[in-house]
Amino acid sequence: MSVLTAKNISVVFGGLKAVEDFSIEISEGELVGLIGPNGAGKTTVFNLLTGVYQPTTGSITLNGQDVTGKKPEQIVSIGAARTFQNIRLFKQMTVLDNVLVADNGSRTYSVASALLRTTKYWKEEKAAREKAMALLSVFGMESLADATAENLPYGKQRKLEIARALATNPTLLLLDEPAAGMNPTETTELMETIALIREKFKVAVLLIEHDMSLVTGICERVIVLNFGNILAQGTPQEVTSNPEVITAYLGE
Amino acid sequence: MPKNKKSSYLLTLALVVVLYGVSAFLVASGRINKYVSGILVMVLVNIILTVSLNLASGFLGQLVLGHAGFMSVGAYASALFTLNSGLPISVAFPLSILIAGVVAVIFGILIGIPALRLKGDYLAIITLGFGEIIKVLINFFDFTGGARGLRGIPRVVDKSSGISVEFVKFSYAFFLAVLTIYLITAFIRSRHGRAVIAIREDEIAAEASGINTTYYKLLAFVMAAFFAGVAGALYAHHLGVLNPAKFDFNYSVEILVMVVLGGMGSITGSVVSAIALTILPELLRGFSDYRMLAYSVILILVMLFKPTGLMGGYEFSLSRLVRKLRGKNKEKAEQEKVGAAK
Repeated sequence: MSVLTAKNISVVFGGLKAVEDFSIEISEGELVGLIGPNGAGKTTVFNLLTGVYQPTTGSITLNGQDVTGKKPEQIVSIGAARTFQNIRLFKQMTVLDNVLVADNGSRTYSVASALLRTTKYWKEEKAAREKAMALLSVFGMESLADATAENLPYGKQRKLEIARALATNPTLLLLDEPAAGMNPTETTELMETIALIREKFKVAVLLIEHDMSLVTGICERVIVLNFGNILAQGTPQEVTSNPEVITAYLGE
Repeated sequence: MPKNKKSSYLLTLALVVVLYGVSAFLVASGRINKYVSGILVMVLVNIILTVSLNLASGFLGQLVLGHAGFMSVGAYASALFTLNSGLPISVAFPLSILIAGVVAVIFGILIGIPALRLKGDYLAIITLGFGEIIKVLINFFDFTGGARGLRGIPRVVDKSSGISVEFVKFSYAFFLAVLTIYLITAFIRSRHGRAVIAIREDEIAAEASGINTTYYKLLAFVMAAFFAGVAGALYAHHLGVLNPAKFDFNYSVEILVMVVLGGMGSITGSVVSAIALTILPELLRGFSDYRMLAYSVILILVMLFKPTGLMGGYEFSLSRLVRKLRGKNKEKAEQEKVGAAK
């Protein structure tokens, strides 16, 4: 079954067609890469899929539900979580609280229950903490649970953002340049982490990346965007040897 | 409830009871005169206002410039209720507190829905306007007493009952202040509170984490308005007279100054600065003309040397203090043991 189906989505800003007729289908547990030169519209595609922008035309289906025109928080609850190109953590909050915020949708206790500190509150808070700690331990960060997010080193901040996204129980994870600013060792480690979480959490992953070693290393399928249009798609080998793609990246 | 939490709750409760016992005894026995107990009530009113504004401005991160407006709505609603209800005051007053809160909530929703659906500082402008409009409306209408103010608001307890009015007023104020602090702290330390703080930290990331930002922004803002209304009810029945000029922009700013000075997002800070900034002008009675000048100087100095406020994000915890002291004693004892062995 496909997790995500987007059909012919387009978005126009003023006179600029940022994304035109973009279609994609991602099946369960698949790992798809989205590449393209700067300004090709990769992040715009993410913003369309996660509800930050509304598509001008086209439709998006997530886990069998039509999510076209839905708000970001609704799309998260249907199962698509994302990270950002320039990390967006809750900087002043602790590492644990960052994950707990994203876990909000899994808990049901009411405001009144929180104010009266009912048994339900204590039970759910405990469960939330255990789940968050388990998630952090996947990333080897359980000892950092009480650290303030902004004090983490860069690589750890990237990981925390992925952990936070996973706390929303997604079936589709959208990673926007997860390896940006990482050195080759960190990138290799990240590749392993992505492979691990896909296995462990049974999520499909769509990732934007410039680092070709990462893309060719782990992606099963690659989509190349240029000027808002799909230029090519296929296996990493097919795509990297495609003359049109080479022209788009390097010029004639 | 986990065991260590239980003991920490009980410890805090014990502190509150002792604090109340001592101060209520001093007020009831007349050892504290009427002037000082009046200041005490105002301190408690300002604590309610500051802690509640901290929820909207410190934790949610939305600038609110009309907190005194919500207070005035609550004050007038409760005063009009106790004046006209015909119920005995010991029933009417608690009811009027609730009514004050509810009326403030209604105004909060009316203002919050259009303002909080947008990203950005629209709430500051709208609440600023609201505070001024409410003042003009209260001046305009007859049923609010107009510019002459509302007079003859009943005392919080029947004179015939023989209980000291000062004592009852203080008890109400103390109970409501403690309740406000408890409820807002409990709210902040729940999934709902974390969502509110997350919105302050990064609204887009909060949305991407599945937080319904409009709902939580409205919830926190309306909660703040509720407690401002409650503070208004207390204030109205404390003074017995309401003057619309009191609830002006300056008073809203005064409350905001208390929040910023104490530390955005620190309830301890709010309490401390509400106490300090209510008592300070009384001590400086002779210089009261320069109060606003002193405020701005204090604010500038704090912003220069401690931009996060006196307490930053720090919260006082009695159980932590006890643990620390115990730990130190243990260390001492162990050191002595080691010393003796040598």
